[in-house]
Amino acid sequence: MGDKHLRAGLIASGTVVALVLLVGIISPFVPYDPAEAVNYDQQLQPPSMAHIFGTDGQGRDVAMRVLKGTEAFFLPGLFAAALATLLGALSGAVAGYAEGWLRTGVIGTMQLIDTLPRLVYIILVCTILNPSIYLIAFVAAILFVPSIATVIRRRVEALGSEDYILAHVAHGFRPVRILLYHILWLQCRPMLIRQATYVFGYVLFVEVALSYLGDYGMQEPLPSWGNMVAQTRELGGAGIWPWAFPAVAIVLTISAFLAFGNLLARADEEEVR
Amino acid sequence: MSAELPLLSVQDLVIEFDTRQGRRRVVDQVSFDLAPGEVLGILGESGSGKTMTTMAVLGLVAGEPGVMGGSIKLLDGEQQVDLLSDLDGVLSRKGDRVVKNGRKWRRTVHKRMQPLWGRMMTAVFQNPRHSLDPLMTVGAQVEESIELALPDLAADAVAAKAVDWLDRVQMNQPQRVHGSYPHELSGGMCQRAMIAVALARRPKLLIADEPTTGLDTTVRAEIVELFRALLEEERRSMMYISHDIREVLYLADRVIVMKGGKVVETETADNLRLGRGTRADYTAMLLSAADLPTGAAA
Amino acid sequence: MSRAARLAIAALRRAAGGLLLLVGATFVIYITIRSAPGDAIDAISPMGTPPDVKARLMAEFGLDRDPFTGYLAWLVRSLTGDFGESLVFSPGAPVMEVALPAFGRTLLLSASALVVCLILAVLASLLLGESSRRQQLLTGPLYVATAAPSFVVAVVFAQVVNWAVNVYLVQNDYVPPMWYPIPIYTESLMPYVFAGFALIAGDGLFMDFFNAVRAELTALRNAQFIAAVKAKGARTVGHIARNMFMPLLSGYAARLPIVLGGVVIVEYIFTLDGGGYLLLEASRERDFPVVVGISVLFTATIIGMNLLADIVRAVIDPREVAHGG
Repeated sequence: MGDKHLRAGLIASGTVVALVLLVGIISPFVPYDPAEAVNYDQQLQPPSMAHIFGTDGQGRDVAMRVLKGTEAFFLPGLFAAALATLLGALSGAVAGYAEGWLRTGVIGTMQLIDTLPRLVYIILVCTILNPSIYLIAFVAAILFVPSIATVIRRRVEALGSEDYILAHVAHGFRPVRILLYHILWLQCRPMLIRQATYVFGYVLFVEVALSYLGDYGMQEPLPSWGNMVAQTRELGGAGIWPWAFPAVAIVLTISAFLAFGNLLARADEEEVR
Repeated sequence: MSAELPLLSVQDLVIEFDTRQGRRRVVDQVSFDLAPGEVLGILGESGSGKTMTTMAVLGLVAGEPGVMGGSIKLLDGEQQVDLLSDLDGVLSRKGDRVVKNGRKWRRTVHKRMQPLWGRMMTAVFQNPRHSLDPLMTVGAQVEESIELALPDLAADAVAAKAVDWLDRVQMNQPQRVHGSYPHELSGGMCQRAMIAVALARRPKLLIADEPTTGLDTTVRAEIVELFRALLEEERRSMMYISHDIREVLYLADRVIVMKGGKVVETETADNLRLGRGTRADYTAMLLSAADLPTGAAA
Repeated sequence: MSRAARLAIAALRRAAGGLLLLVGATFVIYITIRSAPGDAIDAISPMGTPPDVKARLMAEFGLDRDPFTGYLAWLVRSLTGDFGESLVFSPGAPVMEVALPAFGRTLLLSASALVVCLILAVLASLLLGESSRRQQLLTGPLYVATAAPSFVVAVVFAQVVNWAVNVYLVQNDYVPPMWYPIPIYTESLMPYVFAGFALIAGDGLFMDFFNAVRAELTALRNAQFIAAVKAKGARTVGHIARNMFMPLLSGYAARLPIVLGGVVIVEYIFTLDGGGYLLLEASRERDFPVVVGISVLFTATIIGMNLLADIVRAVIDPREVAHGG
């Protein structure tokens, strides 16, 4: 892919990512009372100047609910992305660097976690614990640690035999410094970026899916993009605005985060080279 | 030889590639002939265009735009076939640049080369480890060649012939190698296997593109000796490409020397060896660097 | 040692490893059950469960013992296929009698989606050929289109069909209008077809396969041994297909957990009577033995498929066993 395409993709996806981040940050400071927003005189309005995304079955402003809906996943997503990246990088580095039982133990644990069907396990956890979104995000992060750790481990193993790393060892650099700075930070950064955005996208997906299913996610009248899409169940074919905008928001956000992570990683890789 | 048409005749071959720094000409007006039964050595350092020239003869130039001019004539029976005869049809002028319809050209080349590949010529490449299909036994790959060359042969005869070929390329324990996978063999053994695969196809022209590059020194010598032995056993038309002047002088009847995409010298191997005639500067340098014993005929 | 013997040993070793993973994964599931706050039995039984049923559940899940012996007792029972009885969903029926047929339909749906997706990905790669410009133009829109979660795609499908033919696309009440081109006897099949396409289009499944196939195809087309095969005048199709199969198989195994996650909600949307639907319904009704039974089935499937992929890989690729992995 040429530089021009890379930059265009970065700008397009970066704009969406920046918008989501901005909305996620300002949303908690926007006052909103879902009970007061109900207005039965204005049910299912199409988009207009007053309601740019239209209104839903209870006359609530869809744009406002899309904005407030970011709160459901924003901080949990960031939390999970950070946690999964940190744990994944560390366990990957340990497994790639260590030998003997430590390596076997870490790899075995990773394999074990990786065999759990992610969504099914999350639903099991929900059934038993009826957890908060943060606990769900925590579980999601743990479930993603193996895929991050595997990538990092392979890289560490490959680099371990590279001449310049051996040269660093010969120069007397401390192994921890070599591992953390020269290998993890300088060499694995692109992969970590990619994986972090992936985890964020997954937490968004889980939150939205659980809220869509209705039992364990965000409950009405509090807004989530998931329970907004779930309005199709009550609306039938009556109106598309209440669910179409949140659906588009879901797709755009996930794809933008994935694309941004990918392209940023690629740009970083090209710079490293 | 003068009345006879050459087996391969390359005239004014031009190959260009688009790079970040603009279009670069890697083969510039290269011309040479190869008579039937002749071993032609192509000598040059890396980047001299020797490999691209051979890839053009094989119709396997990868990259855009690739071949931009010239002719490559192959003698098929009584007839001369020009591999590049349709080239003008895919070239067009856009301002002061010549552009090429790469898709159409690849299709044309593929169609033209399909009946020629293997029957007219085949190749042994550098990096023998990457030249064999990793998922097939060596025997199966030799048999694939034999079946193409002799489609009517019975299965057990094909297997026997495959072992025979592995023996002819001086493989120890040909029976065992027959059932081995490429990753189980050393680089030198892979190259012997590759030579068996190529020769079993019975091409009219064998192209050996730096067949010793990437091998250990002793193994290189063995492979060169193998080529020598195979040539003594049966007269073959062959193009031997190398950056090592000693290998080329040892095997070739005639040598062309390339530098910077151009042919700087065409001379018989004997004249080069014996120091007859006047040399181009570059060839003289190569000869003196190689430190050949003067008058050393092999 | 002959290759067959080495293969058999490798397969046995992998099977043992798979079994170990299954034991480990079920232990994780068991510990999750035990981690319920307060009295575990209250967390896992439906409201108003009579005391004798509670006592039976306690015993079945080994909640009256310490976690390790409790787990062992539960594991031994589970290995015999006895996952207890359904509480709410189909009261009194053995869990596997309820779960297995439904799960079979889920597997069929996921497997068909994966196969069709691969075929589409190969076709798309071949059609687009090597023209990089066309592929680049398509990449952006495709990225957006296929990053959609499968359940969002399913919702959109359901809504579009609902709007277009004015029927609800669910398994139980589907009455196609007169002009609808698909014959009437497929009525119970249509939701499955849409669900399958939702799985293919959703979660980036198609995009990932497409990218993988394209990358493999490009790498192989430029591979030296393919040039050598070409130069000797043999057909390259077989060589390319065989060498492409291996990485794709790994991709398959890696994608399976995601597909099995997506299928849960997609089944729910189309009310398809499969394992995912059953899981969600049982979870909602707090029919705990069924939830656990299905979770184990999903986990075992992933382990089994990974094992199968490993063995197939070892059979096809001579390099695999040679390295002793």
